[in-house]
Amino acid sequence: MNLTMKHALKYFVLAAALIYPMLSFTNEYVLHVMVLIMVYMVLAMGLNIVPGFCGLLDLGYVGFYGIGAYTAGLLTIHFGLSFWVIIPLAALNGAIWGVLLGAPTLRLTGDYFAIVTFGFSELVVLFLTNEIWLTRGPLGLPGIDPVIIDFSWLSTLINPQWNWYWEFIGPQPYFYLGMFMVAMVYVIMGRMEDSRLGRAWFAIREDSIAASSCGINLLTYKVIGFAISAAIGAVAGAFLARWTMFLSPDMFKFWESFLILCMVVLGGLGNFKGSLVGAAILIALGEVLRIILPALNLPTETRFLAYGLIMVLMMRFKPMGFFPSIATQSQKNPILIKLKKELGSS
Amino acid sequence: MFEQQLINGLTLGMIYALIAVGYTMVYGVIQLINFAHGEIFMLAAFLAVTFITVFGLPIYVVIILTMGCCALIGVLLDIFAYRPLRQSPRLAALITAIGMSIFLQNLAMIIWGSRPKPFVQSALPPFLRTTALTVGDASISWLQLFIFGIASLLMIILFLIINKTRVGTAMRALSQNRTSAALMGINVNRVISFTFALGSSMGAVAGIMVAIYYNTLYPTMGYVAGVKAFAAAVLGGIGSVPGAMIGGIVLGIAEALGAGYISSLYRDGIAYAVMIAVIIFRPSGILGKSTVEKV
Repeated sequence: MNLTMKHALKYFVLAAALIYPMLSFTNEYVLHVMVLIMVYMVLAMGLNIVPGFCGLLDLGYVGFYGIGAYTAGLLTIHFGLSFWVIIPLAALNGAIWGVLLGAPTLRLTGDYFAIVTFGFSELVVLFLTNEIWLTRGPLGLPGIDPVIIDFSWLSTLINPQWNWYWEFIGPQPYFYLGMFMVAMVYVIMGRMEDSRLGRAWFAIREDSIAASSCGINLLTYKVIGFAISAAIGAVAGAFLARWTMFLSPDMFKFWESFLILCMVVLGGLGNFKGSLVGAAILIALGEVLRIILPALNLPTETRFLAYGLIMVLMMRFKPMGFFPSIATQSQKNPILIKLKKELGSS
Repeated sequence: MFEQQLINGLTLGMIYALIAVGYTMVYGVIQLINFAHGEIFMLAAFLAVTFITVFGLPIYVVIILTMGCCALIGVLLDIFAYRPLRQSPRLAALITAIGMSIFLQNLAMIIWGSRPKPFVQSALPPFLRTTALTVGDASISWLQLFIFGIASLLMIILFLIINKTRVGTAMRALSQNRTSAALMGINVNRVISFTFALGSSMGAVAGIMVAIYYNTLYPTMGYVAGVKAFAAAVLGGIGSVPGAMIGGIVLGIAEALGAGYISSLYRDGIAYAVMIAVIIFRPSGILGKSTVEKV
């Protein structure tokens, strides 16, 4: 009964999300926020691989997001490549940087690795700010083309009167495109979690020494995880570039990394489905605070005060997030608890 | 040119060293990167200006008072944010530290506004900006001498506290093995609080120095300075107090020379690059001991 209710609710939410942009009372601003939520959903799912699956703290995720965004932006402006070509290229570039950064540093444990990723993302921002010949620096990169679906070559072959050429204008098409992207990443994450790769990551997270004595090559699996995570971040960046049509180095500051980390922690480390909820909650909260704070005569940047506080309180009272991953959930299994008790008392 | 850069770098390095000892001591004792340490440095600058403008206290009193306030903030930070998480995974404590850092930074933004402010010049003796002595082409201002003097004095005091007093011995014991230290009758929480107080008061002096030296203070100043000081601590070998001092000075000089001869645009980048290079090639730093993980 419980299960069917859950399923019904899930499909209802999905259907509502699909129909929503077509309704007459739909607000452009709300749609815009929802697209933003989708971008962060992808980012949060991608980040979850490193701290959630492998148990390594990544404080520089936004670096890959920025690399993806600028890759897409520059390729669009200088070469006019199609969005569908750019997505894999951005992912590839993200993954390359992931390997370059990960291969020498993933031998390190916990804190050192976190610091390296942090330094890397700061260097990315410095590069984007200072290499003006390439990125126009703090002025930003305006005039990136929107996403275009161009089948005119095919339509003119069939019938010269037809023109299958659509330019994405307004939030509706991006809403569906974003949804498609989230769905794809979701499916990929689900398949990875159940694969040999996913099980290797979990083993590393739970006990890396035990994992390596079972024949798991720690460095290889960690680098693969880091590269996949970077690639997903870069895809989100590429989407952002073609959606906002403007990029600036300020969009990729450290706070963004922290925000994404907040989403992952809120949803539960190691549970990528929770990341979706975490992203939705925090972005919605950010928008609400954006309205409330000026009313209280406070600068809008102070919404990070709330984020900081949420993180501290979460770690204090619910360190596993609102939706702990299944591995932790199974610890609550009555049979396991009974077994543990018996073993402990003997 | 070279001498001048060297002297500027040395001044900067002294300040980094003062902040870095705070990171390294806390790391040594509880293995936590206290991200909020940079924020204490920032709060010190703002508190000092507030004490001067609101209460009109003389600068020397203000420095002592700010040290005390920041020590208190450090202790409260430990008690309310970190102490409940002593037994939880390191990740949780690290995320809490970042959360507290962001919280304090935005709190300062709400209280004092986000625009950069100048330091209250009238509170400073006017001779500070004049040249004290010249070496070759380089000139050293009284302010720079003052920073050298205070920083060196504090380092010596710190060295004596750690090596010659009972509480310093307790700190060293704690950094070797917390459980054994507790079994020897050391009050662990009190020693940790003392470590936070000591580190925070050093950071407080650095904060005031930077505000005077650059004549500006803003709520995000703790972020960059904190990261650089942390880089210094890593460079010197995290957990090692003399290492942090050396690391700070080396980093300050590297930064001044790098900005002067390579590119001033990548000034901040030098610290990150040094940090990443050290972590990749020699994670134990200049003076740190490499640890072997036992199964």
